[in-house]
Amino acid sequence: MSDHTNKNIYLPYLATVEEVIDETPDVRTLKLVFQDEQVRENFTFRAGQFAEYSAFGAGESTFCIASSPTRKGFIECCFRSVGRVTEALRRLEVGDTMGVRGPYGNSFPIEEFFGKNLLFVTGGIALPPLRTLIWNCLDWRDKFGDITIVYGARTESDLVYKRELQEWQERTDVRLVKTVDPGGNGPEWDGKVGFVPTVLEEAAPAADNTIALVCGPPIMIKFTLPVLEKLGFSDDQVYTTLENRMKCGLGKCGRCNVGNVYVCKDGPVFTARQVKAMPLEF
Amino acid sequence: MQKYISQQNLNTLLDTLIASGTRVVAPRMNAGTPLYEPLTSSAEMVMDQLPRRSAKEAYFPVCEDIMTYEKEGQKVSISDIDPARFPETVLVGVRPCDACAIPVLDAVFSWDYKDEFFLERRRKTTIVGLACTIADDACFCTAVGLSPADTKGSDLFLTPLEGGGYACESYSDKGEALINNHNSLFNDPNSAASLPLAQPYMEKFDLKKVKAWLDEHFEDPSWDAIALRCVGCGACAFVCPACHCFDIVDEGTEKAGKRRKNWDACGFWKFTHHASGHNPRNQQPKRYRNRIMHKFKYYDDKFGQTLCTGCGRCIRVCPVGIDIAQIVEEISKKLE
Repeated sequence: MSDHTNKNIYLPYLATVEEVIDETPDVRTLKLVFQDEQVRENFTFRAGQFAEYSAFGAGESTFCIASSPTRKGFIECCFRSVGRVTEALRRLEVGDTMGVRGPYGNSFPIEEFFGKNLLFVTGGIALPPLRTLIWNCLDWRDKFGDITIVYGARTESDLVYKRELQEWQERTDVRLVKTVDPGGNGPEWDGKVGFVPTVLEEAAPAADNTIALVCGPPIMIKFTLPVLEKLGFSDDQVYTTLENRMKCGLGKCGRCNVGNVYVCKDGPVFTARQVKAMPLEF
Repeated sequence: MQKYISQQNLNTLLDTLIASGTRVVAPRMNAGTPLYEPLTSSAEMVMDQLPRRSAKEAYFPVCEDIMTYEKEGQKVSISDIDPARFPETVLVGVRPCDACAIPVLDAVFSWDYKDEFFLERRRKTTIVGLACTIADDACFCTAVGLSPADTKGSDLFLTPLEGGGYACESYSDKGEALINNHNSLFNDPNSAASLPLAQPYMEKFDLKKVKAWLDEHFEDPSWDAIALRCVGCGACAFVCPACHCFDIVDEGTEKAGKRRKNWDACGFWKFTHHASGHNPRNQQPKRYRNRIMHKFKYYDDKFGQTLCTGCGRCIRVCPVGIDIAQIVEEISKKLE
């Protein structure tokens, strides 16, 4: 829905908060419905794209669209309250109005994944950027081979989308490997204990005809890529999504670049080959 | 179209424009500092001083409202800003180092998504350039391939002549219209020689060599040597005719206010600071490296242009004496 006419490109759509879900003590999901009927009907996006969400009076923040494009009529974002804007977004209640600009950026080339196995590797608050694709793929389940999700967090309470983890665990057509860092497990914990890269190596998913989709904090990415390499994944089989600080989301404001790559326009989705060609500035 | 205009007629032209409601921006003294500012009379114009800040703010304001919002109960209404309200502007006495930056900035604001705030102001602004007859130690326009008589970006270009007045030449429909609409103030060109042009002392850089080195030296010990002393004040970006980075902020309360696009600078630590606390450019030399890279590599990679016109302003204002011309000159020699 890129609007390239001579309109105000910074003007957001208005959306109503339809549901508020607390994922962890400080991570919240907002389910949003566009107020304008035409926007509601015409807003389309692809898994991997992001938006600028605003709490009027506080400003805008950049998050991926965390819901799946296959689920129509609403979008979801998921964020941790850490600053002025996210604290203001957290104060919003059901029925309140917020702003949304987007969708922006590139997306996962999902059509290229048809017929392949998928391996999702993610940690903590980095599940939402992959969750859009996970549900997109689950809604088109017969187009893919095996689907494996390796997801970890520091502690049990830091796991987001707990109800969906439960659902994935119960499904027979998804293999969920969940883990928490040593010490992060309570007495009831039924998952693994260990860091994501280690748990991934133990789970040892086959690289053959498989696409790996990785999203996590820089430290997790750093230790996960060598494991994938060891498992036999080539750099073209591995995708990630980068999230640098952004303001405009439109390739103008000049801050999200990694070298000469603009995350907002050239990304946020990149292959490991593309990431390895970038200077270490993310 | 080539013409001649006397100083007196130029003043009459500006006063006529001001009287007709056109915003006329030109160098004028403000508390002892020459700045490009709206004139109330042509008498305020000073043509013999280099303005301290660039002409950029005439078409890319430091702060610009991009919308307003008002909250009532759970509903918020937002109002667009109508670019039609932007004033017709004639920007006069623009040094080539300022005028040449304008088409360079067109690239970033018009590629893909169009920033109408910038573009509509540009459409409504007529640039009257002025051949430069004064240079100081910081000037280096010639080093980046421009010149004191460069007409890029100008709709009409004035060259001061021996014996007074200006040779003028139009380079666009807007420039031509300015002449045609005030035809009686312009005379046929005469043979008077132009005043001696400014002569920046620096030799021309080989910008290809500069870029070739930058292409290969993102990691290099010289970045620390170059910019460890940078204090991150951002002054260089704020006086630069080509820096275009901006922030988007809400100003007001939760009840009502406006959203604004404000100038920002890659020298500020917060510029790239993530919510998580992680900062990809967590040290000042990394931020200064981005400044050099953006101007002499990234912008070239993306738009085939250099984001520096050699105006020298960042050199004049830097509180710790960082000299971009010297840095780039040294880089240009690294591959020799």
